[in-house]
Amino acid sequence: MLRASDRTFSRRDTVSVLVCLGLSLLGLFLPSSVGLAIASNLRDSAFTPLIWLQARAEDGRTSKARFRAVVAQRDSAAFAAQFVPAISAENRQLRGLLGLRNRLTTPYVAAEVLHQSTPTDGRMLLVHVGGRVDTFEPVIAASGLIGVVWSGGDAQATVMTWAHPEFRVSASSPDGRVFGMVAPSAGGSASETSLEFRSTSYRDTLPVGTPIISSGLGGVYPRGIPLGTVLGIAREQAGWERVYRMRPAANPSSVSDVMILRAPRAASVQSAYPGDSLLAALRADTLRRLRLADSLLRVHIVDSLLKVLQHDSTRRVPRDSVGPSVRLSRPDTARARPRVDSAR
Amino acid sequence: MSAGRASRIQLFAVMAVLVVLHFYVRPRLWDARVSPDFLMIALMLYAMRSRPGDAAVAGFVVGLINDSLSPARFGAAALAGTLVAYAASWGRAVFFADNLLVNAGMIAAGVWLRDVIVLIAGGSARGELLSEIAVFGPLQALITALFGVLILIAFREWFSIRLDV
Repeated sequence: MLRASDRTFSRRDTVSVLVCLGLSLLGLFLPSSVGLAIASNLRDSAFTPLIWLQARAEDGRTSKARFRAVVAQRDSAAFAAQFVPAISAENRQLRGLLGLRNRLTTPYVAAEVLHQSTPTDGRMLLVHVGGRVDTFEPVIAASGLIGVVWSGGDAQATVMTWAHPEFRVSASSPDGRVFGMVAPSAGGSASETSLEFRSTSYRDTLPVGTPIISSGLGGVYPRGIPLGTVLGIAREQAGWERVYRMRPAANPSSVSDVMILRAPRAASVQSAYPGDSLLAALRADTLRRLRLADSLLRVHIVDSLLKVLQHDSTRRVPRDSVGPSVRLSRPDTARARPRVDSAR
Repeated sequence: MSAGRASRIQLFAVMAVLVVLHFYVRPRLWDARVSPDFLMIALMLYAMRSRPGDAAVAGFVVGLINDSLSPARFGAAALAGTLVAYAASWGRAVFFADNLLVNAGMIAAGVWLRDVIVLIAGGSARGELLSEIAVFGPLQALITALFGVLILIAFREWFSIRLDV
């Protein structure tokens, strides 16, 4: 049975505690880059089995472990099928009909988020990646921007999310009228951390509900990634600057799968994130085109039928010795009438 | 094999089970923010049965793991782990560690204190700190303590736990 240790607080205990405290404080006051480098080295060496274990758990949770080979084969086939012109055109039509977004034109790596139980989990995420990712590559989810890769790697990487106090992204309204900088709000709680759209010009006003997207300035984030929607004015600085409060587009704490955009990055990914009105317009346009295509097809069918009929008529004329007008207008009557007469 | 050595082996076997639970079972349970922290259960159980120096080293290692996996502020979790484990080892001298509820209370307090120290050392905003102290911290502490109780009941012979509260 386990028994409590004796309370003999020897010098060894004191030294151990002081060393641990000293190392912890040293880690705290080290430059951020050095701390991250140490963490990265530890993840790649001593703690690799722990990460491997958690990655397997994530795999098991999504049933990927059992179907990995099948999924890889299916993905390869789907990828190859994208470039078949006929299927590509059909895909475009179907996507338009269903109101789906376009595919990302920028190469990307899919990643699974390995959530930790620490309270700072929403600020820095550990992700299990399927390929090599590098520092300062944007991380996005289906609903919008999650953050940026803070330290890259071959199997895992850390992501600084928009909830991190040091996070900034250049942003604009979709029409490009208002530019500014998006940052996490300073006083928000962890559960309802919101964003602020800062440094916007005072002369322009954004109505509530306006979507805010990345502007593409700075070279890190391509243009068009949704950041959030305007909730209202947070504060104003006397005729100089207006700060808007925003509802974030994506929630880092609840996201489980993300995409990491790789180089060469497209200048804009806006087509992958069309607004609701644009989706509706695309859908209407596809429907109109389909209707037009159907009408043209009907005309073609009727035309072809007429041609066939005409061809048949001209072939039968010499054999039956019946006038073409009679054969074409009343083909059965001409043959039935003598039969009625003979019955009388 | 001596009784002390056998106890140590049993303790480390439970620690190993808890590590596997933390990294393999916890991700499957539910939201990470309120899921039980099996590493903290292992740390508190170890700290309450060890010398303060050994407990501090164990706390430092557990904190280092957290720092490496969620490096919002490197060193914050290591500091928190060291302090909490050291305090838990001292607490053993004050409380009856063979009592189930005392163990549960120590685990809950340890998790909550760890969260608070991490947030303060990590430079969190006041609003975030308040919500953690008042809402998420206690929630996670209670859930972790509940799982700690289950672990203690499962291994009550090894930990000399009295169930007659």
